[in-house]
Parts: sequence; structure tokens; C-alpha cells
Amino acid sequence: MAENWIDVSAEDEVPQEDVIGVEAHGRDIALYGVEGQVYASDGICTHGHARLCDGFLDGFEIECPLHQGTFDIRNGRAMCAPVTEDIRVYPVKIEGGRVFVDLG
Amino acid sequence: MGDMPGVFPKDPKWEGDGSSRIPFWAYTDEALYKKELERFFYQGHWCYVGLEAEIPNPGDFKRTVVGERSVIMVRDTDGGINVVENVCAHRGMQFCRKRHGNQTEFVCPYHQWNYSLKGDLQGVPFRRGVKQDGRVQGGMPKEFNTGEHGLTRLKVATRGGVVFASFDHGIEPLEDFLGPDILHYFDRLFNGRKLTILGYNRQRIPGNWKLMQENIKDPYHPGLLHTWFITYGLWRADNKSQLIMDAQYRHAAMISTRGSGGARSEVTAGVTSFKESMEIQDKRLLDIVPEPWWQGPTAVMMTLFPSVIFQQQVNSVSTRHIQPNGTGSFDFVWTHFGFEDDTPEMTERRLIQANLFGPAGFVSADDGEVIEFSQSGFEQKPFHRALAELGGYDCGNTDHMVTETLIRGMYHYWRKVMEV
Repeated sequence: MAENWIDVSAEDEVPQEDVIGVEAHGRDIALYGVEGQVYASDGICTHGHARLCDGFLDGFEIECPLHQGTFDIRNGRAMCAPVTEDIRVYPVKIEGGRVFVDLG
Repeated sequence: MGDMPGVFPKDPKWEGDGSSRIPFWAYTDEALYKKELERFFYQGHWCYVGLEAEIPNPGDFKRTVVGERSVIMVRDTDGGINVVENVCAHRGMQFCRKRHGNQTEFVCPYHQWNYSLKGDLQGVPFRRGVKQDGRVQGGMPKEFNTGEHGLTRLKVATRGGVVFASFDHGIEPLEDFLGPDILHYFDRLFNGRKLTILGYNRQRIPGNWKLMQENIKDPYHPGLLHTWFITYGLWRADNKSQLIMDAQYRHAAMISTRGSGGARSEVTAGVTSFKESMEIQDKRLLDIVPEPWWQGPTAVMMTLFPSVIFQQQVNSVSTRHIQPNGTGSFDFVWTHFGFEDDTPEMTERRLIQANLFGPAGFVSADDGEVIEFSQSGFEQKPFHRALAELGGYDCGNTDHMVTETLIRGMYHYWRKVMEV
């Protein structure tokens, strides 16, 4: 698959042990900072229509603010009801203090 | 004024200890009706909710009622059948509006509280509050426990593909509730074959719900009211018949086997409206194709108190669900079904014979009307009483149809439970 790296944020705007929402080519993306690493996933929950950047990050699990479904941000796996469908995650690289996300 | 009784008795009393004279106020009194809901529909009785064949796949659901309470019969992801009350644990809204459907979960549209198919609360929007300028605002208290806020679950019993539910989790087993004699006829109809759903009729009848039970406990009227039966020689004096009840007289079965004499023989002579000259074009409406499971009887009408009637009239089989909504009104929902091993011809025959039943049925249309007009009579003079003394004053099984014993039986039970 073609690479499609998009500059989405400054690295220091990604909070540690928390989540922010950004936009890339009209798509909602959530960026997570955990243990000095940055992770990225789709920003809208696969269950109800809610933004994961309004949710709560606990270790590597993001909890949706609407119905408390959780995803593992490393692989997108749906972890508990009511979410059953995994969420898409994206490769991330840091260059020159900027965060790039590969939308593929 | 003299000895004129009050038309609207202030403190109605049922005189004597019999059950053959039923006060009109038993059909019109608001407080008694609430007590009936409490004691018959919400405690100690299994109520019909549907057929397993209506929800064959995980996520399939049907909205129905127990008494006046809206409930949902749903098949969960493990294949089990659940019945949950259609009232959100949050603000009490009846969240489910669809009659049938398939869903992976239930969501109340008001605040999107979200429940599993078993009724467990899964998610509450903004339970942990909303993040704003680096702070979290609001949300549910820390000690809020979703485990305590599921939907109300009913106890469920299934047998032969029929689903019953009860709000009363201490209720006796379904088999004990029916008793051995009624269970025998239940198992005759629902003998383990998979059912197929042929269709529904729904009607609102402006009369007290008990009148529907009485109508199917009353073998006196069919040969007199239903001229359609008589015209085509369907209700005849030589029908072999039997009336049986459970030990408490609440449930009953009217069992009859159509005589084999020709339609013109003298057995219909005593019935006034038999018209020899009229002939039905589609004979499948009333001829008989015997089925092995009948074990004889051509018609068995079962009344299960308080909520349902199971019908076999020749090849037409259906459930009829009584859904009360006030002293003077109930919804009557017919589910016409067949069996998985039916031939296409038998399915068509069942559908054709279903034309006798339902709100506009050749036969059943009459019942809706007489129930309405009975209720009108009761409401104009609630101090008066109805009479059910054909065949005597007591309650017992008979081997003939010239009796109102089943109605007396039902009111014997009604008085006992209602303490009236």
C-alpha cells in the first residue's frame, strides 16, 4: 500500500498519558501519548458516534466517553462491550518535532 | 326513591359464595381492574409473550406486553431467550418503539443509555464526565454501579416453542401452572415440531379483557351467534365434545370432534339458521384434512388464564394474546402459525381457514361485536349481574357443550384470588 504521511501536529502538543483530537485530510484522528511514544487511531468510535479524544486513556486503553467501550491503541482491538468492531490504527513517525501519520 | 338500588354501587359486594351470577361491576370497576393486573398479570401467573419462531436468530426481538407493561422478547448472542421490560433504567422511557426487529443491543434514544440483549446496562454517556480546559466536569458519582441499573428482567419459561414470562421470580414451574390435563392438550398442539409464522391479526376490542376468556369458555353461543358456522353445518348437535379444566378451574379446554353425518341430516334441524341452499365455493374453508397429531378431535380451544388462547379449529392453528388496556378495552393479537413439516398445500389450507378468524373473520367478527355490546350493557347498570347458570351452579368437567361450567369455574378462581 502506498505511503501517505501527513503532518498532523507538533510533537509537544501531544499530551503524555492522554489524548487529543486532530484532523488529517478531513478525517478525525486521535493521538495518544504513552511512555514517550505517540500512537494514532481513527477519532470516531466504531460503536456510537462519539469522539475518542473526549474519552479517557488508561495505560494503552482508550475508553469511549459515550458508552465506556474500550480499544487497545497499539493494535485497535475492541476490548469490551458494547464495542465489538476494532478501530483502525495508523503508523506514526516523528521528524523534526512534528508528528506524521500514515493514512495509507 | 324507595327500594331502587343505586346504579353505581359505592361498596360493591358479591352476594353469596357462588360464581354463576357475575356482577357487572366486575367488568367496570377501576380499582378491581388494577387489582386484577397486580394479582393475575404481575404475580403468580405465567403470561404468554410469543413464539420462539418469531425470533429465530440472535438479536431478533419482538415488542409485546405482560398485562399493561411493555416488554421485549429477545434472543441473545448465546441463543437464549430473554424477556426484559421496555422501560429505561435512567428516566423510565419506553425506549423500544419497533414491533419486531434485529439489533445487537438496546439503546434508549433519550440519553443513549445502552443495554445488552440480556438487559445489562453496558454504557452511560459521559459517565466519567466531560473534559474541558484540562479539567473533567460532571459525570456520574464514583459509586455509580452499572450492575445495579439493568433493565427489569422477567422469568422466562419455554415449552414446545411457546414463550411465557413472569415478573414474579418465585412463580411455580410452567408445567405445574398448567396442570396435567391442560398440559396434555398443550403438548398435543406444541409437540416439539418447529413452528412457522404465517401472519398476524391485531384488533382493539372495546370490552373488558375477561369477556374474551369467557367467550372461549362458552360453548353455548357458537351454534347460536355464529350463523356462518350453522349455515355450513359446522356446529352440529352430534359433535362429540368434552370440557375440561385444571384443578383450580382457571384454565380450560373445549374439545370437539365433528360428526360424520352428512350436512343435511337432521342433526342441524334444531338450529334455526341452517340454509340448505347455500354452498361454499372453496371447500378448503370448511372441509377436514385430518392430521396425525390431532389424535381425534377436530377442534380444541384452550384458554390459559389470564393471557392467552390457543386455537385449533380443524386445520387453522393460532395463538390469541389478550392485552388489557383499561376496564373497557383490550388488544387482541392473533398469531397464525403452521409446522415446519407442512406441505405447501397444508400451509395454503391453514391460511384459507384463517379467514374464519381475526377481526374480520367469518366467525370471529361476531365475537368482537358481542363483547363490545356486553360491555355497553355492563356500563349502563353496574349494580346488575350477568347469569351463567346453563348446566347448573357448580363447576366441573363435562362431556357435553350445553353448559356454562367453564365460566363459573373461571369466576370461582377469580373470586378466590381477588378476595371479592
